[in-house]
Amino acid sequence: MTESHKSHLGREARVAWAIALKDMLTYYTRPPSIMFGILFPFSLFLSFSIGRNAPIAQQIPVLIAQTLFFASSSIGPVVIPSERANQTFDRFLTSPVSLLAILIGKTIAGVVFGIGISVIPILIGILFFGSQIANIGILLACMVLSTVGFSAMGIMFASIPGETPGNVMMPLNFVRIPMLFISGVYMPVSELPSWGQVGSMLSPLTHTIELARYALGGETFFGPLVNISVLAAYTVLFLFVGIRFHIINQRKE
Amino acid sequence: MFKLESKYAIEVSNLTKRYEDLVAVDHIDFTVNQKEIFGFLGPNGAGKTTTIRMLTGISIPTEGTAKIMGYDIQRQTIEAKEQMGIVPDISNVYNELSAWDNLIFTGKLYDMPKDFREKHAEELLKMFGLYERRNEKVQGFSRGMKRRICIAMALMNKANIIFLDEPTSGLDVQSVLIIRDLIRKLNQDGQTIFITTHNIEEASQMCDRVAIINHGKIATIDTPEKLKRTVENLQSVEIAFEAIAPDALKKLGELPEVSEAVKEGDKFKLFTSNPSIVLASVWNYAQSNNLKLITINTVGPSLEDVFVKLTGIRPATESGGGTRMGQGRGQGMGQGRGRQ
Repeated sequence: MTESHKSHLGREARVAWAIALKDMLTYYTRPPSIMFGILFPFSLFLSFSIGRNAPIAQQIPVLIAQTLFFASSSIGPVVIPSERANQTFDRFLTSPVSLLAILIGKTIAGVVFGIGISVIPILIGILFFGSQIANIGILLACMVLSTVGFSAMGIMFASIPGETPGNVMMPLNFVRIPMLFISGVYMPVSELPSWGQVGSMLSPLTHTIELARYALGGETFFGPLVNISVLAAYTVLFLFVGIRFHIINQRKE
Repeated sequence: MFKLESKYAIEVSNLTKRYEDLVAVDHIDFTVNQKEIFGFLGPNGAGKTTTIRMLTGISIPTEGTAKIMGYDIQRQTIEAKEQMGIVPDISNVYNELSAWDNLIFTGKLYDMPKDFREKHAEELLKMFGLYERRNEKVQGFSRGMKRRICIAMALMNKANIIFLDEPTSGLDVQSVLIIRDLIRKLNQDGQTIFITTHNIEEASQMCDRVAIINHGKIATIDTPEKLKRTVENLQSVEIAFEAIAPDALKKLGELPEVSEAVKEGDKFKLFTSNPSIVLASVWNYAQSNNLKLITINTVGPSLEDVFVKLTGIRPATESGGGTRMGQGRGQGMGQGRGRQ
């Protein structure tokens, strides 16, 4: 790598971090971030777990996974339409930085939010329900890979033209909610019919839940290596598609 | 300041933007010299903002190229964007951040070193009279103050070219004057200014050259004074009587050499290519109808006349900006032929 490339990459990384920091300061406390990123996964979990016979401790990995999923995928759809509405997104497009660095900055904001919020169910599990972390490495891999992937997914959906978070949240939830049904949230993957297991394999949320279960001493259906590989592949795919969609938007601008 | 790479600050060739069947910008070509104030005039929907969005990299052209200080905005994007500062048509500041944080964040986007960006942010806030309020969130600022912050953000990277899209639109007179003075000062300091406006008098007073765009095509490019000379037949004689006869407009319109008569308030404006003959005819008309003349002026063609002739559109009235038909002509007169 030449000095010029190093300098270019360093610059891209600094600008991406500056964008992420700005988004954290500006958007984390916005009502849509709190609603879709925090209240939504906890409400879903409570409505699912209350009244069931299964012990709460067994359900903690599901809560962790849902929190990672909803929190990290909600930041992009809150930030980008809001910035489009007041034309501050144009500031990034006119800055001497690549679209990839801009979107990575936005992704980092979702990652930090997702990781920060997911600490809550982990602590709840440990402090109140006797959950134990059996594999800290897998838990960290689960948190990082899932938040990067889901945050990139939110960024990809945020390429849908719209100037309010609702314009993006609606189609995003159209995908996020059905994913709950095939990802082992309500029924273990092993109990799904074979077509359901194929669908489950294709859902990134399945692999987050599996890794969270494994990290807390449970078992995985597909194995942690497959879980990690699928999440990594989805991260690359979401980022790539997100960039393509944002370029298409620029052509339509 | 970056090294200058090109003879021209901006070179546009065959630039086109198409939205399905609509051609918003239609194969335009123009160049902007370095250290020039270049005005881009046109009615609403003519293609001004679409052009500026392509030049600044927000929008990707359907066809054609644009070079900024010699760098192709599509192929050498980063280098081209390093050359420019942008003030869009609305003040796109971060309302949730303070004035200081807005400038510092802009400095970070340009990867400016910490010491340099803090020093420059302080200078700019002092220059715009906002340093005392630097820690306040911008959402509490007035429209004029937000505009000033937005311009300060455009100046953070000490760019070679400043793009300003309708910079004074909708502002109070004081803010308009501050911004116009600043634009002149920036230009004197060596920066190239590309300004889009529908305020014709503003363009006439400030720009070295103007392009008039209509329906996505460049109708003409020249200096304001040369453009005014192309419409010599749009000179006029402005008159007011102590009392107005009921058929005065009709009678005045029938005078020799008068191509059109228009009533504006208590005055009449008689368009002609031969003001001296019209002056004599008006005098005779007043004598024969026993009318007392209280005002009589000859008015040279204004840039507005050129604009109206080329686009067929009369610009909208705007308070503080001086684009009203009568006002515009009056100001044009001050610069040109003068009153008699």
